[in-house]
Amino acid sequence: MRAGKLAPALAPGAVIGGLLLLLALVRGGGMTLGWALALAGAVYIGSLEAAGAGVDGAAPLVATGLLLCGELARWSLDTRLRLRSDETLAGRRGLALAALACSGLAASALTVAVSAAPAERGLAWTALGAAAAVGAAGAGVWLARR
Amino acid sequence: MSRFTSPALVAYAALAAAGLVAGLALGRVEPVALAAPFALAVLAGAVLGRDPELSVRLALDRERAVEGDTVTATLELTSAGGAARLDVLVLLPAELAPEDAVARTVSLAPGETRALELPLRCERWGAVSVGPVLLRARDTLGLRSWNGTAGEPQVLRVYPSEETLRSLVPPLETQVFAGNQVSRTRGEGIEFADLREWRRGDRLRRVNWRASARRSSLWVNEQHPERNADVVLFLDTFAEVRQRGGGTHERAVRAAATLAHGYLRHRDRVGLIGFGGYLTWLLPASGTRQLYAIVDTLLASDVVHSFAQRHVDFLPPRTLPPKALVVALTPFLDERASIALLDLRARGYDLVVVEVSPLEFLASARDSLDALAHRLWRLSREALRWRYEQAGVPVVTWREDVPLAAALEEVTASRRLARPA
Repeated sequence: MRAGKLAPALAPGAVIGGLLLLLALVRGGGMTLGWALALAGAVYIGSLEAAGAGVDGAAPLVATGLLLCGELARWSLDTRLRLRSDETLAGRRGLALAALACSGLAASALTVAVSAAPAERGLAWTALGAAAAVGAAGAGVWLARR
Repeated sequence: MSRFTSPALVAYAALAAAGLVAGLALGRVEPVALAAPFALAVLAGAVLGRDPELSVRLALDRERAVEGDTVTATLELTSAGGAARLDVLVLLPAELAPEDAVARTVSLAPGETRALELPLRCERWGAVSVGPVLLRARDTLGLRSWNGTAGEPQVLRVYPSEETLRSLVPPLETQVFAGNQVSRTRGEGIEFADLREWRRGDRLRRVNWRASARRSSLWVNEQHPERNADVVLFLDTFAEVRQRGGGTHERAVRAAATLAHGYLRHRDRVGLIGFGGYLTWLLPASGTRQLYAIVDTLLASDVVHSFAQRHVDFLPPRTLPPKALVVALTPFLDERASIALLDLRARGYDLVVVEVSPLEFLASARDSLDALAHRLWRLSREALRWRYEQAGVPVVTWREDVPLAAALEEVTASRRLARPA
């Protein structure tokens, strides 16, 4: 009911996201592609918020779809360069992309699944959460320095 | 090599961060679920991307070629760290046309060496450099890249292709050394010149017995000796008319190389004067070494616009030896060259002018005003040719559709008629 009311408000975001994706495909540009994906994700989250429903089980599929959309768009931009390439390169990239999508789907599904599990409050969980936060920050710093 | 992060990777990192923040703010898991694949992609980009540690060696199969030849450039790539995708682009000058893809993508395993061959067709003469090589190594997904330039540029000398010449313009005067030109003077030689009465000291084998019997006294044959000549190629480099297909300077250089080869083959001494914005010269000499020197100088010659006054006085004296045949190659576009050539004629040099016609390289007239200007310009050129003819200088127009041999034959014919008996 609320989603139906909010649909007109979300529609422009979806349209702009689509246009940005088209623009990224026509003119190239990773950041434009990023904005297109961000808008698509925001519209999806907005629609979930508007519906006020529980955890959406399709979220991992949406996430993987967005990633594949971005990666396939980048691949399409790469093929525009007139480079004579080895025949095996396309296959390798396809395999790498499939592996990334599967891993992403698994990670996303795990996230959703873990969120559904009942968690008891306690020192161990708090410590685990803090360690995870520190680990994530450390991983970010390591990635930035590499 | 400098490292670059793809904008997409930055965008993915930002999306992952935004998803996590949104998950916290909204208290929902879906934003975090959306962020998870992008965070994984960022991680994959960081793990997969490695410095390829490339070493590149660019080599040509030869250092010299002739227009129309195909030269093979070999690119040897070695990667210590490995490169999942390596984009390679060899920078080429306009004078060389690749017969195969010049931009390629290859894959290199760690420690692997790979050689790429690139056949290049020499389209135009010149001293050109092949390379360096632009490189971009990327991971499998193209999220991170290492860009750089490598490979020492290789110099290739493309010599102009030569026109076929059956005969050369013979000089009016020859020098004292032996050669292949029949001298106008009389002496020891092969070509019969005349008969004269026997004088003390004449060899017995020179006696013409038939003429002696008829005249009842001893008569001997006289011959024209074979001597060499000094030839100076005068290249007008003040101005040129150029189009995509070629230009007057290009044709003049081709003709100069052809003439130099032809005269040197006849054991003449050949010199070169590049008369234009920059003065270049080579003293007359003979032999193969001189041919290479002339062609190398021609390759470096170019039309340089200049407003400086130039006279033949500026040339070193030995570049124009006495009795030299001066063959001028000029498009008649700059008055300074025309005046200098008339000056040479006034100083008694044996001068032949080959006018490299610029008309074929001109755009057609767009309106009547253009047509009128074109007509006036052609009339002024006719007037200039008339001035040369009045000075006794043969001027031949070498058009693009006419071989050089035909133009030179025209000069030879006119000189044969004008030659004193």
